[in-house]
Amino acid sequence: MSEWQLWLERLLLTVEPVSAFMRTAWGWPTMESVHFVGLTMLFGSIAVWDLRLLGMAASVPIAAFHRLVPFSVLGFALNAASGSTFLMTEPNQYLYNPAFQFKLLFMTLAGVNIATFYALFFRRVRTLEGGARAPGALRIIGAVSLMSWAAVIICGRLITFYRPTGCPPDEPIAFIATCIVR
Amino acid sequence: MPCASRANVPHSNATRFGHFLVSARPGRCSIGAAVLVSFLVWLESTALSVWMRESPSVFAFPMILAAHTLGLVLLAGIDIAHKLRVLGVAPQVPESTFDRFLPVMWLGLWVNVASGIALFVGYPTKAVTNELFYLKLALITTAVVLVKAIRRPDRRAPRLLAVMSIACWVATIAAGRFLAYTYHYLDVADLIEGRRRS
Repeated sequence: MSEWQLWLERLLLTVEPVSAFMRTAWGWPTMESVHFVGLTMLFGSIAVWDLRLLGMAASVPIAAFHRLVPFSVLGFALNAASGSTFLMTEPNQYLYNPAFQFKLLFMTLAGVNIATFYALFFRRVRTLEGGARAPGALRIIGAVSLMSWAAVIICGRLITFYRPTGCPPDEPIAFIATCIVR
Repeated sequence: MPCASRANVPHSNATRFGHFLVSARPGRCSIGAAVLVSFLVWLESTALSVWMRESPSVFAFPMILAAHTLGLVLLAGIDIAHKLRVLGVAPQVPESTFDRFLPVMWLGLWVNVASGIALFVGYPTKAVTNELFYLKLALITTAVVLVKAIRRPDRRAPRLLAVMSIACWVATIAAGRFLAYTYHYLDVADLIEGRRRS
């Protein structure tokens, strides 16, 4: 662990009201529920867009799907907010966790992919009519988006299995996602 | 049938639970309880169940859990996008366009039926002794029926169906998350020995 990780860990731990709520009986599972609703909205509304880029439902203009983007943003906002509460409660379970580090990596890849799309292709997409095949580069954008968000979800789900510190010793079974709460 | 042959069931606690679930005759033992406990003992001793619990491979329990989440986002995620369209979002997209995504949604459903069965086989006692498990199954069934119902040409109150559907998915997700925290018995040994955990 490096200096800045320790600094970040201490900083996250200062938000005590959040961790106090998270340590109540319903706190952690409630925020997890929010996190899963958020990722479902995020992935679902991005997936129809990506699948259109890949050639599904080709009769519809690509730009028509753009109205779903606010719901992707809403899903992401829900997840950023609920995800922060996990970090503020158990920072060391995340900052030193390889699954979490890979999750951040794939989130960055998804973000760069989105930025590339808006910087280079969005203007062209607006003028594409229904029935038009997306150009090859856009199909790659769609595929990278689908795969990077799927990878984010897989890494997120694996976090609990790559804890830097183990579950309490009285926890008999390795693969149960309960030991983060008492 | 009164509690005549306790030999069938190792512990009265399991018998009482069996009553609650199978025969709903409080204070009495039943063949049903013995059958249920025997079934759980057998299921937890199968190779698949042991593998789900004990395999150290990341491709066992962890990746099956991850697949369960991927199936969820394919089915519920795309369905929620469709329901938002029914509610008026993205009006330039014809509603029927979402029919094209149905195969992807059914793929998500079958991934989750398969991964769900594997997760159930790993911890069957944990599932059947938690009321939330039955609620989750009922919510999923309702949401999947609504996938079809909202596409019927003679549908009524589509906006209401859309709101119901989104509510079902949100509740399904919450039930799924709370399942990991609210279980009473982890395995059949807990049930037999009366080791209630919450």
